[in-house]
Amino acid sequence: MTKNVRYTLILFIICAVCAFVLAVANSIFNPIIVQHQLETTQAALKPLAGGYTVGGEVEVSGNDNVAGEYRLTDGGNVVGYILSLKGQGYGGAFTMLASYRNDGEILAAKMMTDSETPGLGKKSEEDWYMKKFVGTGTKGKPVPTTKTKLSKEDSDAISGASVTFGGVSKTLAAGAAYVQAKGGVQ
Amino acid sequence: MKDQECLSCHTMNSEQPQPMPQKKSRIREFTKGFITENPTFIIVLGLCPTLSVSTQVSNGLGMGLAATFVLFFSNIIISSLRKVIPDSIHIPAYIVIISTLVTLIQMFLQAYMPALNDALGVYLPLIVVNCIILGRAEAFAKYNCVADSALDGLGMGLGLTMNLVVISLIREVIGNGTITFFPTKNWNGVIHIPLFGTYPVRVLAASAGALLLMGYLMPLFKDLVDKVEAKK
Repeated sequence: MTKNVRYTLILFIICAVCAFVLAVANSIFNPIIVQHQLETTQAALKPLAGGYTVGGEVEVSGNDNVAGEYRLTDGGNVVGYILSLKGQGYGGAFTMLASYRNDGEILAAKMMTDSETPGLGKKSEEDWYMKKFVGTGTKGKPVPTTKTKLSKEDSDAISGASVTFGGVSKTLAAGAAYVQAKGGVQ
Repeated sequence: MKDQECLSCHTMNSEQPQPMPQKKSRIREFTKGFITENPTFIIVLGLCPTLSVSTQVSNGLGMGLAATFVLFFSNIIISSLRKVIPDSIHIPAYIVIISTLVTLIQMFLQAYMPALNDALGVYLPLIVVNCIILGRAEAFAKYNCVADSALDGLGMGLGLTMNLVVISLIREVIGNGTITFFPTKNWNGVIHIPLFGTYPVRVLAASAGALLLMGYLMPLFKDLVDKVEAKK
C-alpha cells in the first residue's frame, strides 16, 4: 500500500467515525432543539398578537429583513401580521418578532436573540425599549430611525447605543414597509 | 520530536516504583494551566473569544466550560491516536476531531442552554480554530500519554475558565453593576450591585474596556508568577 493511500485511509476512518458520532448526537439533540424553538416562538407570539388569532408561519424569501410572517386574523379578516425580522446591531446579527396592523402600525415588538453590549445595546431586550416604536410605522407616523426623531427622554435612554438603535429601528421600518406593501391581502 | 515516555506507564513497568515523582509530575501537569503556563495571561493564546465573550459572567463561564470539554477530550483522543496519525496529515485529522467535539457541545447548548448558545454566537463554533485547543494538541497531546494529556487539557481548560470568569466579573460589575449567572425557573440569574448599578463605568462593558482590562491584568499576573517562581 502506498503512503498516500494509507494517509487517505486513515483520514477517511477518522472522518467516518466522527460523522457517525455526530449522527447519533443529532438524533438525540435535534428533537429537543426543535421543540424548544417551537415553545420559545409560541411564548413570544402570544403577547405580540394583541388578542387576535395567530396563523401558522409562512417563510419569506428575498427580503433582507423579513424572514417569516404569521397572519393576524379577527373573525376571518386579516387585520395584521407578526413578522419574524432579522437585522444587524453593534454586536452582530439579531432577530426580532414584531406585530403590525395592515397599515404598518407597530402593535408590539420583542428582541429574540442578540449579542449586544450589556448595559448599552442589551437594553433593547427590555419592554420599555420597544414601546417607543409602538404606534409608529404608518405613512403619517414613520418609525423613528434616528435619535433626533425621538423625545429627549427617549434619546437619553438609548445614549451610548446608537448602532443598536439604528439597527432595531431600520429593521422595524423595513417590516412596516413590507406589511404596507401587502395591504392586508394575502 | 521524540515521543515522550509517560511517567505513570514507566512506573508501572519498572521494577522499582517511583510514586512521588509521578504524583508531583501529575499535579504539575494539572496546575500549570492556572499559573505558570496560564493560557491567557502567560502563553497569551485564544484572546479573541476571551475579549469578546467576557461581557457577562454567565458567558465567560459557559465559554470556559465549553472550551474545557473540548480541550479535555481532544487531548485524550489525539494522545490515544498519536502513533496512528502520521505527521503529514496530523493537522486535518486534529481539526476533524476538534470540530466534532465543538459540534457536540454546540448541539448540547442549543438543546439545553439556548440563551447561552445565542450569547456565545460565532465564538462557540470558532473554538475549532482556537489557538489553545490546537496549541495543546500540537505541543502536548501529540507527544505525551493519555493520562498526562487529559490532565493538561483539564488544567488548561479550567485555567482558561478561571481567566474568563475573572475578566467577565470585573467587566460586568464595574461596567454594568450586575453579576449574571445562569437563570433558573424562579430566578433570572442576575445580581444587582448597588453602587456600580447607579454609576457604571460603561467603557469596561464595551470592547475597548476588554483591551484596557487585559493591559492591567497581564502585568499583574506576570508579577504574581514571578513571585511564585522566586519562592521556589
